[in-house]
Amino acid sequence: MTPFENSKSSKKSSGRGEPMVWFTGMWLSFGMLMIIVLLSIIVKNGFSTFWPSPVLQIELVEGSEAGLRGSSKLAGDIRKEQIRTTASETGEAVPEIQLFIGNREAYNTGFRFVMESDIKSRDFPEGIMRAERLEYGDMIGYPARLELADGSTIKSTDDSFASTLHDIVKEGNKRRHEIEHIEKDQIGAINRSMESIKMKRRGWESEEDIPEKTQKEMEEKQAELQADYEELASEAKTLRELQSANTLHYLLPTDGERSVPTGSIVDYYYPNQLNLFQRTLRFFKRVGSFVKEDPREANTEGGIFPAIFGTFVMTLLMSVAVVPFGVLAAIYLREYAKQGPIVRSVRIAVNNLAGVPSIVFGVFGLGFFVYFMGGSIDSLFFSERLPTPTFGTGGVIWASLTLALMTVPVVIVSTEEALVAVPRGVREASLAAGASKWQTIQRIVLPASLPGIITGLILAMARGAGEVAPLMLVGVVKLAPTLPLDTIAPFIHLERKFMHLGFHIYDLGFQSPDSEAAKPMVFATTLLLIGLVIALNAFAIIIRERLRRKYKTSAF
Amino acid sequence: MEQPTESSPGEGSEIILDDSRFDVSRKVLLTDGFMTWFIKFGGVMVVAAVIGIFVFITSQVLPLFKGASVELDAATTTTEALPKGNYLGIAADEWMEKPLAIRDDGKFIYSDLVTGEVLESEFDFLEGDKMTALRIESGEDLIVAGTESGQVHLIEFSYSPTFKDGVRTVNEDLNLAFTGEFNGPVTKVSCGQSGDSRLIAVLTETEEGPHLELDLVQRKKSLISAGDWKEVGKTDLTETLRSDVAVQEILVTNRADAVLVVFENGEIDYHFRSGSGLNTELRQTFQPFADLNEKKIKNADFLLGDVSLVLTSPEGVNRLFSLYRSEEEPTRMFHQTKEFPALPDTPAFYSPSFRNKAFLTGTSNTATLRYATTETIRWESELPWEVTHALISRKSDSLLFLTEDRHFVRVPVDDPHPEAGIKAFFGKQLYEGSSEAKYEWQSTGGSDDFEAKLSLIPLIFGTLKGTFYAMLFAVPIALFGAIYTAEFLDPKNKVFIKPAMEVMASLPSVVLGFLAALWLAPMIEDRVPSVLCIVVLVPLGAFLFGMLWSRQPRNIKKYVREGYEFLYFAPIMLILLFLGWQMGPLVESLIFTVKDPNTGERVGDFARWWPSITGTAYEQRNSLVVGFMMGFAVIPIVFTIAEDSLSNVPDTLRTGSLALGASRWQTAWRIVLPTASAGILSAIMIGLGRAVGETMIVVMATGNTPIMEWNIFSGMRTLSANIAVELPEAPHHGTLYRTLFLGAVVLFLMTFLVNTIAEVLRQHLREKYKTV
Repeated sequence: MTPFENSKSSKKSSGRGEPMVWFTGMWLSFGMLMIIVLLSIIVKNGFSTFWPSPVLQIELVEGSEAGLRGSSKLAGDIRKEQIRTTASETGEAVPEIQLFIGNREAYNTGFRFVMESDIKSRDFPEGIMRAERLEYGDMIGYPARLELADGSTIKSTDDSFASTLHDIVKEGNKRRHEIEHIEKDQIGAINRSMESIKMKRRGWESEEDIPEKTQKEMEEKQAELQADYEELASEAKTLRELQSANTLHYLLPTDGERSVPTGSIVDYYYPNQLNLFQRTLRFFKRVGSFVKEDPREANTEGGIFPAIFGTFVMTLLMSVAVVPFGVLAAIYLREYAKQGPIVRSVRIAVNNLAGVPSIVFGVFGLGFFVYFMGGSIDSLFFSERLPTPTFGTGGVIWASLTLALMTVPVVIVSTEEALVAVPRGVREASLAAGASKWQTIQRIVLPASLPGIITGLILAMARGAGEVAPLMLVGVVKLAPTLPLDTIAPFIHLERKFMHLGFHIYDLGFQSPDSEAAKPMVFATTLLLIGLVIALNAFAIIIRERLRRKYKTSAF
Repeated sequence: MEQPTESSPGEGSEIILDDSRFDVSRKVLLTDGFMTWFIKFGGVMVVAAVIGIFVFITSQVLPLFKGASVELDAATTTTEALPKGNYLGIAADEWMEKPLAIRDDGKFIYSDLVTGEVLESEFDFLEGDKMTALRIESGEDLIVAGTESGQVHLIEFSYSPTFKDGVRTVNEDLNLAFTGEFNGPVTKVSCGQSGDSRLIAVLTETEEGPHLELDLVQRKKSLISAGDWKEVGKTDLTETLRSDVAVQEILVTNRADAVLVVFENGEIDYHFRSGSGLNTELRQTFQPFADLNEKKIKNADFLLGDVSLVLTSPEGVNRLFSLYRSEEEPTRMFHQTKEFPALPDTPAFYSPSFRNKAFLTGTSNTATLRYATTETIRWESELPWEVTHALISRKSDSLLFLTEDRHFVRVPVDDPHPEAGIKAFFGKQLYEGSSEAKYEWQSTGGSDDFEAKLSLIPLIFGTLKGTFYAMLFAVPIALFGAIYTAEFLDPKNKVFIKPAMEVMASLPSVVLGFLAALWLAPMIEDRVPSVLCIVVLVPLGAFLFGMLWSRQPRNIKKYVREGYEFLYFAPIMLILLFLGWQMGPLVESLIFTVKDPNTGERVGDFARWWPSITGTAYEQRNSLVVGFMMGFAVIPIVFTIAEDSLSNVPDTLRTGSLALGASRWQTAWRIVLPTASAGILSAIMIGLGRAVGETMIVVMATGNTPIMEWNIFSGMRTLSANIAVELPEAPHHGTLYRTLFLGAVVLFLMTFLVNTIAEVLRQHLREKYKTV
């Protein structure tokens, strides 16, 4: 006989509430699914931004609304295929595709929706070219001929066409960098010298007070700078003229000829001639240029290098500020302060500060750092520039300090946890061996809790890198002309405004005039940002797990 | 006795060495002492700095709650009295350096408050006539004077500053702009200007009795000059006058769209002028003090914007009447909106502010500065002088009094935030032009006389609304997910569940906001019925499936290992999701139907059905979207803390319960959950704190309209989003700036309070486990 006589009822009781188990499991599944869906949307859209998809050319049926410029043809890459419920009273579902048709200067729009029923035929023409330009986004069309500066013409059917175009575009890119160098670096240097002379002049009470000798010197210097400037400016002008000397003429898919100066072509390729390997190569090339180039056309084209760099510098400065203070406070609270109700409530307060909304820190940063501290610095050291603020406006230093303040509770909490985790025996052994309290902390406790401190720092960095709201108040801008770190003395420009990945997403997605055109860039930036943040977090998790394992096996 | 170190010199160095071995080197001691001091000082400083944030933000807010400070001791007085005579009115420049007094014989007398000298202007417009009526329209820099011979003169006064060596000198100028002819001596005048036309109201005393006329004058502006004022036409309003009651005062609004006639018996006629011509209609006759014994009006004049009328009775009762349209009236009428504490005596003077809705009034020896909208007294004091006239400066930074002994006194005023106050931020407020008191946030407007509406209540409401919908979505997922993870999940699976949650927690809110606005909102915009179907279908499906499954015999059940249910359910859920999504349009066409105005047929359209049923708006970026994405941000926090507190429940309780024959669900529900309830509550509260402060998601995924309704298909404006949107544009140290800081303080207190409660709960829980 079994020990359970009434086996039937016992079975029933063990199953009681079983539907509820499934019910709770459903919520977990749902949560996990949400994460997967969200991440995959970002990853898919982010990567597809760089993938050189083939260009589809369609022939429309007579009288289709999708036609442009009276033509029945359209070409572009497919961005979306969806089923739309029409606005008509019947409300039927119509399949349609969204094409990115480029050529914004000709079409005034980047995208076109075409109903499947309007499409007569589709094909992928070999000869279609896609070119990235400095203006009006991408060109999609058939190259017709090159008109060179010397008056000669090379037809696209000529053998030399491909190699000539390649050389000319390459040369144009080189020249563009040269122009940039002249205009930004050399002329910029002249402007700075001029500005410093102007500031010097302002240092005196009035024009009459300036000693004659200095006056003369300044004027000479100014004249010299002016001459230099004119020389450089004319050099840049000649180069600019060269940039538009050669033109590429092409046919739009909707018929009609257009031309573009070769100097404004950044890159070009024939999307329907690429094989998988070439596509992959081009994909990585585009990723590369996205990461290291400056943005163009109101940030909707080009790269995001300044935003990456700004985020990096800001996070770095924040870390430099947050670690010493956070660790100091944690050591004080854990090792030196007398444990009692006061320290306990301070600990709760510090803990809770981690939960205070970030925007509150932004408000504090604006009021205290920017207006109070920045304003004081300006009136003390930069009074000749007033009322134009130098430090009294948002800048990378204030943004870093604000975020440091915001993340200092994170570092304090995790450092404290790490300090507590150092076994009592180790400390006592050190003290018993004759080490002083500081020696114990310095040589024994701190090294042991280093992983914990680093975890805290990384978590703080991850939070800082992803935070946007407070930055909007203390110095982030949509387009910064200069970087906070460069080759011009004093190299680190703490007062400069900067660009930030998170703010870039906000600005592109919500403040740009054509948010549909900006979408790919937003997704790509998003992918980069969450990649960064998740990598930082994963790193922190790994360190923490190691720490845990270390103390689990520890003999103490 | 024996000294140890010297007692054994022979045995020598070894022992000495031994002893000094225990001496700590000076350097170590110094370092240790320094570090102790350094860490204590530094630690205290860091903690103080972190907590000082609150102190600093609060310090920025405090000036909002201060009244006006008027320094009577710092008054500047003219040394020389004005010449003897009866003074009818005063005017002044922007800096109140050269006030002007007008004597009843038509003389304009300037006093210089810097040099102290008194100077009688050469300006003479009377040419032998006698001045019988005078009104100074300070807001328009205009003096209107009527004479015995029936002439009305418009005199423009202006001041221009010149700077020499950084010292300002104010130069005065008077210019006779227009003279109009009327029959009989002028007794009352008033004038209002709108664009290039002026409306003059003139009361003359003719042989047949009083005569009320409106005179419209215009000027043509050319490129070179402003042009001269020319009469366009006149209209007669005499028949609206009472035969037995004399007119006390006439007022023309500065937009020249209304004429008010105040009678001696306390009645007021409101004539409305429509268009730019001379068509007027008598819209309203009202008696402001009808309920009092003394129905007379002593003083009646406009506030800035000329929509409200400040009225004072001879006994000092002080009321405010404003134009607004109530529901039963076709047009805007005057209604009493505020009542201020009465003045101690008959009012002697009145002056409206040029910047805001404040006004200065008082008796001959007291003065009070009042703010109309908030119905508060900003300042009140007895005056050391007998006062006949008073004026608020253009910048509202000083008050000017003309005393009985004919001295000008200028008193500095500091009242940067008159419109602020507890009542303005947290109370219902009756704003000019609206018919009922309400909570409203509208910080900037188009016109100069726009009044900022700074109630924080709609923002706090928005914050709570967003938080509510976020929690509605997040709490079930997070809590049930946590229960499943802690109680039923196979421990091996935790290895990937927890990092996944951490990834979720680390997603920057700007990313979530962007996805909410550009992906989620357009996706569910016209698929709300599908969402509703999913909300019903998925939980129901899970429960039914669980029920069905548990009824299956053991040999089938063995295929699903306990602790893996959530994985097996995933495909079923996908099917349910798909079904729900596809069912949406069907449900819509069956239930959410509206009559199409074009065809007359009933079509399924949720976006139109919702407003037609509830009367509230349906917006694309709504609380549903915000709730979903903000919920996404909150889930990992709630999940992690709840899961921790569930896992920390001692295993002995669990095994005990199971050993007694309870099922795993019974154990979880009856034993583990109650034990961990404090921790779960604290998890929810910390999640709440996060949702309250969330900024970017709300900024991006709602329309940011500060409305007050719980409608899930409309947006909201939260405190945090409001700060992010408005603070970058707010002028430093202005009222808006400080109000936004106040918003930050409220936000700080809300989250700090919630977090502290959560923390205390958790500590309580820890204590509890100690005894279990």
